[in-house]
Amino acid sequence: MSVVIIGLSIGFLLFLLAAGLTLIFGMLGVVNFAHGSLYMVGAYLTYTVFQLTGSFWIALALVPVLGAMLGMIMEMLALRPVYGREHYYQILLTFGFILIIEELVRVFWGLDYKEVNPPAILASPISVLDATISPYRLFVIGFGAAIAGLLFYVLENTRVGIIVRAASVDPETVQVLGLDVGRVRTGVFAFGAGLAALGGAVGAPLFPVELGMGFNIIIDCFIVIIIGGLGSIRGAIVAALLIGMVRAIGYTAAPDWVDFITYSVLIVVLLTRPEGLFGRSRRVA
Amino acid sequence: MTRLASTALGWAVLLALLVAIPNLGLGAERILLINLILVYSIFAVGFELSFGLTGLLSLGHGAMFGVGGYALALLTIRLAWPFELALLMAGLAGAVLAAVIGFFALRLTGIFFSLTTLAFAQLAYILASTKLRDITGGVDGLAGVPRPTLFGVDFYDDGNFYLYLAVLLIVMLALAGLLRASPFGQVLTGIRVNDTRVEQLGWNVRRFRHIAFAISGFYSGIAGALLGALLFYVSPQMLHWTTSGDVLIMTLVGGVGTLFGPLIGVTIFEALKDELGRLTEHWYGILGLIFVLSTIFLPHGAMGLISAVMRRAVPRS
Repeated sequence: MSVVIIGLSIGFLLFLLAAGLTLIFGMLGVVNFAHGSLYMVGAYLTYTVFQLTGSFWIALALVPVLGAMLGMIMEMLALRPVYGREHYYQILLTFGFILIIEELVRVFWGLDYKEVNPPAILASPISVLDATISPYRLFVIGFGAAIAGLLFYVLENTRVGIIVRAASVDPETVQVLGLDVGRVRTGVFAFGAGLAALGGAVGAPLFPVELGMGFNIIIDCFIVIIIGGLGSIRGAIVAALLIGMVRAIGYTAAPDWVDFITYSVLIVVLLTRPEGLFGRSRRVA
Repeated sequence: MTRLASTALGWAVLLALLVAIPNLGLGAERILLINLILVYSIFAVGFELSFGLTGLLSLGHGAMFGVGGYALALLTIRLAWPFELALLMAGLAGAVLAAVIGFFALRLTGIFFSLTTLAFAQLAYILASTKLRDITGGVDGLAGVPRPTLFGVDFYDDGNFYLYLAVLLIVMLALAGLLRASPFGQVLTGIRVNDTRVEQLGWNVRRFRHIAFAISGFYSGIAGALLGALLFYVSPQMLHWTTSGDVLIMTLVGGVGTLFGPLIGVTIFEALKDELGRLTEHWYGILGLIFVLSTIFLPHGAMGLISAVMRRAVPRS
């Protein structure tokens, strides 16, 4: 029982990050390597806001906005000048961001790790069917599921969602129809960055807030989007929950082999369905 | 200037520099820095064969680099193999690992390939630092890596080891140059420019990519082994993603798609690291900033700048 809760909570946290990655990739054709760094910044900002206000909820509301602003600055200053060039320049830029952001975090927050406690009402463990469950993890699952539902609704049913989907498929036509694709790109990148920071806020009470936390999780996210099929939100959620469950079961059954098992899932998918579970048949990026 | 003339000029400048360096009377610290540049140059030349020539952006070259280092360390320390044989095996270990990673990752193209190499390298890093602790020494690494003993020269002196590294770099660079100019290299260039067309011409694109990736792994393994010998030490840090990132930055700052670009990039990278490291502890972030700026404003790296200046100075006849 608790294994399921842990697996689902890791899965939904991974989904928050993978969804942003996938949206940005669909819209800009860029795999944002700095996504893990934005997640880390989100966690550190949560720590600071928590220290200043004493409220986790204020942090949860404020941090994604700050993350989105950071993303907007990154997109406008650095990515915008290189859209016309080959794709790998954009990848390389986001790679450079990792180094800059890690350094800034080191300057502002220092080297030692920080701790964020879950809010008081979610702190004390509850027991369900003779298993002890952290209510904060239940909150993460509910919150993640709500964000996932909202994302589906917005993308499928609203005007903004239609514009984003249209601009991913055929930016020229959208531009000709009188919409500013540049602003859509900035918006999507900022939104993805906000989701990453939100992931950091949600993850802060679960893991120690430290340098390098972004890189550990981003590798899992890359595995999620390779398995799910890059550009597919549906694939992201299935794959995120799959990896979350694999990790949770691995921690209880064979803690030494967790990473090995996770990578094995990736290898099996690559060998049997290289385009990913929900990917289009040909993968060119 | 013709292509041949600029290649000849590049070789002339490089050889003149390599001959001049021992006669400059540099201090021990400078010689160590130059030796580091030579080792990383071999690494970057190998990386360039995969990235610049074939168009395979690998984010996991640190794995091949590190495995080469460990292969040399284990073969010489544990099994007391002669240095040169162990060095060859280190290169082969890098090539074999690249072939294994390529077996899986080359099912994908473009960014998916890059992400998969990154994941595999991370797995190798985790294995070296935790699971294989008994063999690799865990995060502490392995100390006491020997240097070669050839013709009775004392290569434990950094000045003498410089000669060894310089000769190896010349050989490896010459082989890379031949490979680029060979029909095999032409096919690889074709794959980078338009893989569909090369496939239609009847070449087995995946096999060519696989071979190119393995050759690149061979270079990386040799370079990793030489770094181990230079520092008398190997550690899992060599397999870390930052190593893969460093070689990418070096190649890009120098100029992608050229034979000598990686050498210039390595020199800029190591010199900046050395100078900035003296001035501030935040050198890595500043390096990241320089990298971002040079990606935006100097897309063809230092070599692009040099060839633009040359074109202006020596008009094409």
